[in-house]
Amino acid sequence: MIAQTAPAAPPTTLPPTPTIKRRRRKPSLYRTLSRVLIMLIVIVQVYPLAWLFLTSLRTEHDFATGDPFALPSSLTWENYARAFETGDLGRNILNSFIVTMGANVLIVLLGMMAAYAIQVLGFRLSRFVRGLFLIGIIVPVQIALVPLFIDYSTVNLLDTYQSMIIPLAGFALPMSIYLFSSFFEYIPRETYEAASIDGAGPYRIFGLITLPLSLNTVVTVVLVNSIFIWNDFVFANTFVLSEELKTIPLGLQNYIGAMGKVDWTATFAAVCVTITPLLLVFLVLNKAMIQGLESGATKG
Amino acid sequence: MLPNRSRTSVLVFLLPPLLLYCAAVLFPILQSLFLSFFSWNGISDMEFVGLANYIRMITADDIFWRSFFNALLYLAICLVLQLGGALLVASLLTSLRRGRELIKTLYLLPAVISTVAIAFLFVRIYSIDPVGLLNQLLHWVGLGTFERAWLSDVNTVLAAVSAPEGWRFTGLYMLIIYAALIAVPKELEEAAVLDGASKWTLFTKIRFPYIRPVWITTTIMATTYGLRGFDIPYLMTNGGPGQSSELLTTYMYKTAFTSTDFGYASTISVFIVIECLVAVGLILFMLKRKAD
Repeated sequence: MIAQTAPAAPPTTLPPTPTIKRRRRKPSLYRTLSRVLIMLIVIVQVYPLAWLFLTSLRTEHDFATGDPFALPSSLTWENYARAFETGDLGRNILNSFIVTMGANVLIVLLGMMAAYAIQVLGFRLSRFVRGLFLIGIIVPVQIALVPLFIDYSTVNLLDTYQSMIIPLAGFALPMSIYLFSSFFEYIPRETYEAASIDGAGPYRIFGLITLPLSLNTVVTVVLVNSIFIWNDFVFANTFVLSEELKTIPLGLQNYIGAMGKVDWTATFAAVCVTITPLLLVFLVLNKAMIQGLESGATKG
Repeated sequence: MLPNRSRTSVLVFLLPPLLLYCAAVLFPILQSLFLSFFSWNGISDMEFVGLANYIRMITADDIFWRSFFNALLYLAICLVLQLGGALLVASLLTSLRRGRELIKTLYLLPAVISTVAIAFLFVRIYSIDPVGLLNQLLHWVGLGTFERAWLSDVNTVLAAVSAPEGWRFTGLYMLIIYAALIAVPKELEEAAVLDGASKWTLFTKIRFPYIRPVWITTTIMATTYGLRGFDIPYLMTNGGPGQSSELLTTYMYKTAFTSTDFGYASTISVFIVIECLVAVGLILFMLKRKAD
């Protein structure tokens, strides 16, 4: 009986080979050192953010009088309440959403179209047009501030969502075109030829083949660009004046009180609120984002 | 080339992106170039002044030169922190067995946070009254003599505003370099190890040459980003005290929107563009030549 039941049990014996192959190596000095070094660097990288979060949970009194770097003696959410009272956080988050969505739609759609024209359709000046788009990667965004400010005031675009969306999308377009065209390279020619023989024109091929195939690249492009757009300070600061249109980065400035007195705990609470949406997306999708960033640059 | 594409289809796909790009990027660049030959405060009539703005910038503007050298130092600090830090962590990470994904995520975290938040955070870290993280740390390790108000000391302010920028993007470049490092063929490394190569030789003779193309990309990215640095210095010190942390970008911004001297601000803009193009050209030239 015992002999019969034994085979049914999962094989619990340890695989024999690794114990022989992988002898217990003594932790070498190099490995220990490199581990310690990595931990140190990670602490430098992460500690300020952890401190920011912990501070946002301390009482104002505790932060001001106690050791600001000790662990909080008690936790409180009142800073968050005060943060929402002081500023217009809800409004700021909504504005950031509108701008981020708007710019992303333009970046993805137009980026894909341009990459399709350059990479798939092809035309005589395609190399030249590609080079033209490349300029946008190298040139700093500040160059556009004065001219766009002047242009916007002539066509009454100052202080609108578009005044932020247009330059944000424009400057992000080159990178997205680059990412899309390097992806389009991998779609086999035969796929297009087969579709052509079946009578599909360039528009149907775009809608039925290229677009559905590039969804992964779309995710990458959206994630990478969202970081920069969500956090944009310079365009928002230059083109937006009214409170109702202020995005998160501008809204945060409201927490510097008059006379330069800063309510640090409320400020840090506000910072925590504003970085949370992006942080959540990042933590949930960080595999995709990391892959995107890696492939984006290594292909260059 | 698609078999049955037509000229119209090319235009349909190409024109909308090209229009947006021209409106937001190309046309403003040309417009800056145009404006740089004028004197204009935005209200009165534009006055053509020829090269006067350029001559003033190069021969008679101390703040411009001060900002230029500050920007170079700012760039140097960013590059060392970003590329040096990235290369170090990426190499260390390849020898790690577990926890790579976690470290990659943690390391990239600061890149997700807005510059305004980072500026706030670092103002508090540098402050002396109330005592900030940095001064407290110095006190703890017995280097109390170095405690200071980092952002109001003219000797330290530039380094103090450069460090956060370097700090925030190290993770990004680390990811890219790490991805390149793990793509180095294992056979190459194993062969070298069999030949008795040390870790250092392995790195300098095999790994680093292999990732050269990616290294060029990251250097260019980091350099162009460093040269356009603006938010953090602008928010933390607004270029001060005096002009000790003024960069070309913050100087340009103030010239345009505080002094409303649009013509001269455009001249500085043109200089920044040229500076970026020259920098990229130099990097490509030096790294290409070294490879040959």
